[in-house]
Amino acid sequence: MRKLQAALGIAVLTMVAIGLSACGGSGGKEGGTLTGTYASFPDYLDPALSYTAEGWTAMYDTYLPLLTYKHADGEEGSEVVPALAESLPKISPDGKTYTLTLRSGLKYSDGKPVKASDFASTVERMFKLNSPGAPFYEGIVGAEEFAAGKSDSIAGIKTDDKTGKITIELTQPRGTFTNELAMLFVALLPSGTPAKNLTTEPPPATGPYEIVKSEPGRGWSYARNPQWAKTNAAQIPEVPSGHVDKIEISIVRNSATQVNEIERDQANWMQTIVPADLYNKVKDRYDGTQFRVERPINLYYFFMNTAKPPFDDVKVRQAVNYAVDPAALERIYAGALSATHQILPEGMPGHEAFNLYPHDMAKAKAMFKEANPSDRKITVWTDNESPNDEAGAYFNDVLNKLGFDAKLKTINADNYFGVIGNASTPDVDAGWTDWYQDYPHPNDFFQPLLAGESILPAYNTNVAQVDVPELNAKIAKLGEEQLGPEQEAEYAKLDREYMELAPWVPYGTNTVSTFVDSEIELDSVIFNPTMGQDLTSFQFK
Amino acid sequence: MSGRSPWYLAYRRLRRNRVALAFGALFVAIVVFVLAAPLWATQVAHTGPTATHTTERVEVDGEKREVVNREGKPIGPLWLGAGGRFFLGADGRLGRDEMVRLMYGGRISIFIGFLSTLLATVLATVLGLLAGYYRGWTDAVISRTLDVIWAFPVTLLAIALGLALAVGGLRIGPLHLSGSSIWIPILILAFVYTPYMARPIRAEVLSLREREFVEAAVAQGAGPLRVMFGELLPNLVSTLIVFFTLGVANLMLLEATLSFLGVGVQPPNTSWGTMIGGGFELISTAPLLTVIPGAMILLTVLSVNVFGEGLRDALDPKSKIRLEAHAGIAEPEGTAV
Repeated sequence: MRKLQAALGIAVLTMVAIGLSACGGSGGKEGGTLTGTYASFPDYLDPALSYTAEGWTAMYDTYLPLLTYKHADGEEGSEVVPALAESLPKISPDGKTYTLTLRSGLKYSDGKPVKASDFASTVERMFKLNSPGAPFYEGIVGAEEFAAGKSDSIAGIKTDDKTGKITIELTQPRGTFTNELAMLFVALLPSGTPAKNLTTEPPPATGPYEIVKSEPGRGWSYARNPQWAKTNAAQIPEVPSGHVDKIEISIVRNSATQVNEIERDQANWMQTIVPADLYNKVKDRYDGTQFRVERPINLYYFFMNTAKPPFDDVKVRQAVNYAVDPAALERIYAGALSATHQILPEGMPGHEAFNLYPHDMAKAKAMFKEANPSDRKITVWTDNESPNDEAGAYFNDVLNKLGFDAKLKTINADNYFGVIGNASTPDVDAGWTDWYQDYPHPNDFFQPLLAGESILPAYNTNVAQVDVPELNAKIAKLGEEQLGPEQEAEYAKLDREYMELAPWVPYGTNTVSTFVDSEIELDSVIFNPTMGQDLTSFQFK
Repeated sequence: MSGRSPWYLAYRRLRRNRVALAFGALFVAIVVFVLAAPLWATQVAHTGPTATHTTERVEVDGEKREVVNREGKPIGPLWLGAGGRFFLGADGRLGRDEMVRLMYGGRISIFIGFLSTLLATVLATVLGLLAGYYRGWTDAVISRTLDVIWAFPVTLLAIALGLALAVGGLRIGPLHLSGSSIWIPILILAFVYTPYMARPIRAEVLSLREREFVEAAVAQGAGPLRVMFGELLPNLVSTLIVFFTLGVANLMLLEATLSFLGVGVQPPNTSWGTMIGGGFELISTAPLLTVIPGAMILLTVLSVNVFGEGLRDALDPKSKIRLEAHAGIAEPEGTAV
C-alpha cells in the first residue's frame, strides 16, 4: 500500500511537472538557444573539483548528487530535496549512519545505467583528486585511510546495485552531512571515470543538460541530456526539465561589454555581477523588467597568513583590522555591498551583529608600532575582476599606509583560488577572497575556512592557515550536533572568538545581480541562494 | 674649403625640417612632463600614484566634495580648484589622483618603450651582423630562428608570453623576475620585436660586406670582430637610429595594447595602457579616464614617429627620394615610367 501511494505520488508530480513544462510556466516559449556570458572561466567544469559559485551555477543542472537544493528562490531554495536518491536519508538514532536508496532506471547521458556503486567510486575519485571538498567527507568511516592510500576502498560506504541501497557510516555524528550530500563534489559519475581534471572532456551527465563542449578561457556549451526525457525526468520530479534546448556560454572579460551585449540583445544573460560603475544606471533602467538584485549569503574579506611573519602576531592582525575601512569598500563596490566586520553574515543562523574593530587609523598605527614586526615585505594577492581588483589595491594601499612594504599581485580570476590555495605558491602573505555559502549552516563559515584540518596542500580554502586547537575542537563538536538555538548561540560566540584572533578582515556581504536581455522572461528566472541562477528556469518570451 | 661631415649635413637637413623639429620638441616636452611626476606629486597633489582616497573629501572653492561618491563615481577634473589636487579628477572608485597617475604612468610607458627598443636594437644588431657577415650555417640558423618567431603574429605572441609570465614570473638560472616586474613586459617586447629589426639589418650587412672598404680592412689583416664592429657597425649607425626611433613608437603602442589587455604592466605599477584599461570600465560615466591617457599615447607615438621620419630623411636623403619616386611624386614631367 505504501509503495502504491509513492508510485501514485510520483505519477501525479510527474504529470504536474510535464503540464507546467508544456504550459511554459509563465507563458513563455519552449526551446531556443540561451546565450550567456561569464567574465572568467569557472575554476573547473568537473563536479569533484569546482569550488566556486561560477562553477556550481554552471553544473547545477548537469551533474546531480543524491540530494540537491530545491529549484527555488530565497529561503525555499535552501531546502534539501532528493535528486538521484528516492528520498532524504534515513539517519540512525546515533546520527552516524545515513541510508539512501537510488531511484531505479536512471541513466547517464551516454546511456549507461546509474548504479549505487557509482556513489562509492565518485567519493573515492574525489579523494584521489585531492578535491577541495574532501574535508566534508573525511568523517566517513575509512575515508582518511583511503585518502592516505592505506586502503583500496572506503569501508564506510556500502552499496547494493540490485536494490540501489547506499549506506554511509560516519565516525562521528555530523549535523551538516545531509547538506553535504547535496554538494556537487559528490554528484554521481560513472564508475571508472578517470581521476583527473575533466574540465575539457566533460563526463556524462545525469541532469537535464549535458556539457557538450568545453574550451577553457573561451566558453562551453550545453545540449539537452538525451536520457533525461527518456528516463530520468519522470524519476526526478524535483528537478525541472528546462525550457531552452541549448545553452552557449562565452567568456567576455570586460563586464561593461557584457552589459552592452545584453542591452543590444546580443546575449541573453550575464552571469557576472553588473560592474560597479554601471550598476546604478542598469538598476534604474531595467529593475523589475530585465534586472533583479539577488541576495546570496556570502562574505567578502581579506585574509592574512597566520602561519608566518608578520601575520603570526595577533597584534599586527588586529592593527590591520582597525586600519581597513569598510565604508571605503562600500564605495568601491558602488553600493552593492553591505559593510560588516565579522565572520557570520547577516541571514545566516547564529549571526549576531558586532564590530570589534571600528575603523581607527591612528589606533591601528599605534598598535602596529607597538608590535613592530621585523618582516614588513609582503605580497598582497587579488584577482583581476572588478571591483575585487580594486578592493585588493585598496588593501595594499592600507597596508603600506600602516607601515608595510606591500606589493600587489593581481592574477587572472580563472585560476586565482587555485593559485592562492596551493601550498607551493610562494609569498601568499595576505589578499582578497570571498566565500559563498555551500549550504545554509553556520558551520560552513568555520569548518572549511578556519578549521586546522582544512589546511590542504592544494585547493586550500583555509588560506589564512588558521589552526587553533581549542577552536578546531569547538567547530568539530558543533558540527556533530543538529542546529538549534543553543548551537546558534555557540556559533555566535565562535564568531567573536575568531574575530578576537583577527585572522581576516571581513568587510562586507555582496549582492549579485540577474541581468537578462529583453527576450528572456525575468520572472521565470530562479536564483538559488546556494547554486545561483538555475539554467532550467530561463525561458524566452 | 673644407668638406662637411655626413653628420653635419644630416643635422642641417634635419634643421630645415620644421615639422620634424616641432614634433621632436613635443616629445621632449612630454618627457619633461613625465619626469616632473615626483615634483607634482609632492608639491602640488600631495599624494602618490597608488595612494587611495576613497572616503576622503576635498575642498573646492570653499565647498567640501567627496572624492568618490556613495555610488562609486569618482570626482571629475578640478583643474586648479583644489590647488592642483585632483587636477584631472580621481581615477575611479579608489579615488587615486588621475594627474599623478598619468605622469607616473607616462614614465613607465616611455621607459618601457625606450628600454625594450634598445634591447631589441642591440640584439638585432648583433644577430644581423653575425648572420650577414658569416653567411652560410650561421646565417641559416639565425635567420630560421628569427623566421620562427616572425611566424607568430607579434601581438598574439606578446599576449601569450605576458599571460604565461604574469603569474609565475621569469626564472632563468639565478635571474628571477616576479610577474609584476616591469622587466617582464620589457623583455617580452624586446623579444618579439627583434626579428623585425634583425632582418633588414642583416640585409644591409650583406650588401655592405661586399664594399671596397671591407675588402681593404680584410687586406690589412682585420679579423671578423674588427670588421663587424669596427667597419660595418659605424656604417649601420644611421639605419639603427632610424629603426630605434620608429621602434620606440611601435613598442609603446604594443605595450599599451598588452597593458590594456591586462598582460603588460601589472599593478601596482601603472602605464598609460593600464590606465586606459582601468578607465574603460568607467567609460560611460567618466570618459576622460580613457581619453586622456589615450591622447598622451597618441601624441607621444606621433611625435616619435614624425621625428623619426625626419631623422631618416636627414640621415639618408636618398630614402626620401626613393619613397617619393615609389609614390610617383618626384617623377620629372614627361619621363616615361
